[in-house]
Amino acid sequence: MADPVRVLLAKPTHDCHDRGVRYVAKKMRDAGFEVIFTNFLLPSEIVNTAVEEDVQVVGVSSSSGGHLPVFEDLIAGLRENGLDDVVLIGGGVIPRDDVETLKASGVAAIFGPGTTAEDAIALIRERVEDTAAGVG
Amino acid sequence: MFNDRTLAISKAMAEAREVDYQRIVEKFGNQAPAQARDPVTHSGLPIKTAYFPHDIEHIDYDTIGAPGQYPFTRGNLAAQYQLMNWANQPVIGYGLPEDTRARMDLLAEQGMVGYFGQRFYNLVYDLVSHEGLDPDHPAARGRIGQCGMAVYSKADMARLFNGMDLAKMNVVHITYYQVIPALAQYIAYAEDQGVGPGDLRGNSMNWYHQSAYVGMSAFPPDQGLKLAAELINFCSRNMPRWNTTNFFGYGVEEAGGSAIQEIGLMLAFGVELVRACEAMGLSADQALPRFGFQIAQANDFFEEVCKIRALRRIWATTMAEKFGAKDPRSMHVRIHTHTSGACLTAQQPLVNLIRTTLHAFGAALSGTQAMEVSAYDEALSIPTEEAATLALRVQQVIQEETNITAVSDPLAGSYYVEALTDQMCNAALEFVERIEKQGGYIAAQRSGWIRREIEGSAERWREMVNAGQRKVVGLNCYETDETPQENIFKVDDEVERVAVERLTALRKARDAGAHRKAMASFSKAASDFASSKIENLAGGGMLIDAAIAAARANATTGEMMGAMKDTLGWAAPHEY
Repeated sequence: MADPVRVLLAKPTHDCHDRGVRYVAKKMRDAGFEVIFTNFLLPSEIVNTAVEEDVQVVGVSSSSGGHLPVFEDLIAGLRENGLDDVVLIGGGVIPRDDVETLKASGVAAIFGPGTTAEDAIALIRERVEDTAAGVG
Repeated sequence: MFNDRTLAISKAMAEAREVDYQRIVEKFGNQAPAQARDPVTHSGLPIKTAYFPHDIEHIDYDTIGAPGQYPFTRGNLAAQYQLMNWANQPVIGYGLPEDTRARMDLLAEQGMVGYFGQRFYNLVYDLVSHEGLDPDHPAARGRIGQCGMAVYSKADMARLFNGMDLAKMNVVHITYYQVIPALAQYIAYAEDQGVGPGDLRGNSMNWYHQSAYVGMSAFPPDQGLKLAAELINFCSRNMPRWNTTNFFGYGVEEAGGSAIQEIGLMLAFGVELVRACEAMGLSADQALPRFGFQIAQANDFFEEVCKIRALRRIWATTMAEKFGAKDPRSMHVRIHTHTSGACLTAQQPLVNLIRTTLHAFGAALSGTQAMEVSAYDEALSIPTEEAATLALRVQQVIQEETNITAVSDPLAGSYYVEALTDQMCNAALEFVERIEKQGGYIAAQRSGWIRREIEGSAERWREMVNAGQRKVVGLNCYETDETPQENIFKVDDEVERVAVERLTALRKARDAGAHRKAMASFSKAASDFASSKIENLAGGGMLIDAAIAAARANATTGEMMGAMKDTLGWAAPHEY
């Protein structure tokens, strides 16, 4: 059996809205993923954890604004550390205009209100598991 | 409560009705929804499909009482809204202090009013301040003036309150854990205006306890408890008109907790906090009269009404029986209602106006003291002017047009309302007992028990929504293809640049020597405080005195919080 998918879920420490992301963490664990959940102050902390934990997926939850600079720094940081192939996803309250901006800069998907944890799990399976099995 | 004849008729009628009811249910067989057979409240309490006098025959009328009489189930005061409506307390705060001031003035012009015409302002600080940072910190990028106002110093207070008479208004400072720096800056600014702390009215949040169920980084729980008692101690001596503490029930509901968990946790923490105040040398009657509550009003209409009646009763009886409180104000539950944000949807956002109207109506029927009604666009952005004004209009329509303000506790005596109120009291007291058996609120927080309880409840809700067992209009039923909402509020990009520029100018202009000295004293006070046992802090207020001195010397929120984090500790709440 293949090693479980390793996912890092991160939420800004300034942002009190952690109900959604903690639920997603639980569902991903139930789905068999290894999930590391962390609060962060600076995007560099996410990059460091991603390197240390050797994750295939990084998810950032943001429900209080400020997501554009976070993703900008995060994408640059992952690239500098040779983690270009990490699948980057986002969730929370992210306005529609920003979703387009983020997708153009390399974020695989944004899971906003109305999406489910299963949607995110399916996307990860498609991007990570199928690729590893040589399907994708 | 009823004579034998009434009870006999009640039981006979109920039996006859039950036979008839079961006949109808059987007739519809598999089509009958679960709630037809086994109705429950959103908290999961079992309820009946109809109520009768004998359903409340076991309740002593003593526990219901009269408005203004112990145990205050029916309200704190003999008069409810006959002479004085509840206060409109919408949450205000975004952008620069001047932006927030403009919104304050707009809402005041639109009739936002406190008790007897007094001006109430419910002001929220931004995410940078909440984290205890200054706007030039790298982590501040993208968050300055977001979800709150960019106020970080005495100088920013001057920009916010310019020209207002602080002695004639009531200001709620919605912080997270930067409670003491924000209060110190407000006091220092007031002094500059010739207003002493004793003349200030308003509210500090003082709610370190929320780190048990809210996700932001925090001080360690035992240090938080000491900080809370320190502020209560200081205010009891120096600020008799200041409301010291906000019991954050709303946060429990928003994190996914049930109504029972919300009031149970608040009472469990109340017990812990009064014990801490006593350890610091304050009596229950010195500490309690200035406590307040922020309580959610969510979707289960009757359960949410009964929740408030139940909370008033169990708070009063517990404070009287456990701590010997005598002053009625010590037993009152003063409530700022916050209509649920978690019940609102990004889909079909105007439907949120209907939800918030029902929430506000329930809160009014249960006798709340002040109200924030969520704006219909909150799931999308910071409320626009139009949305904020409409949220105020919800309150005004209920206050001015429905005539529900004529009668105190108008739902009292409903067999259902009295039965459910009693049932909720018992369920909440049982929840408190489970926490007490673990050694109290802080112990239950440290073990992760509180967080697990709330997350379990949040998960059950989500699973029910996913399975369609809990309906959310526009989300899992009655969906429509929507065009994107056009009118999304955005904070001006200039806010960041100006806030940083002002901070840099402040650091240049202030008396560097005086600032250094005051900050050194504050750091020392924080360090002494961190290592002191609560019993040894009875003298009271040393940390806050030092914070006020630092604020006078133009110390910023980031500087003061930096000193507190270094000495008290600071981490993600799930790490405690």
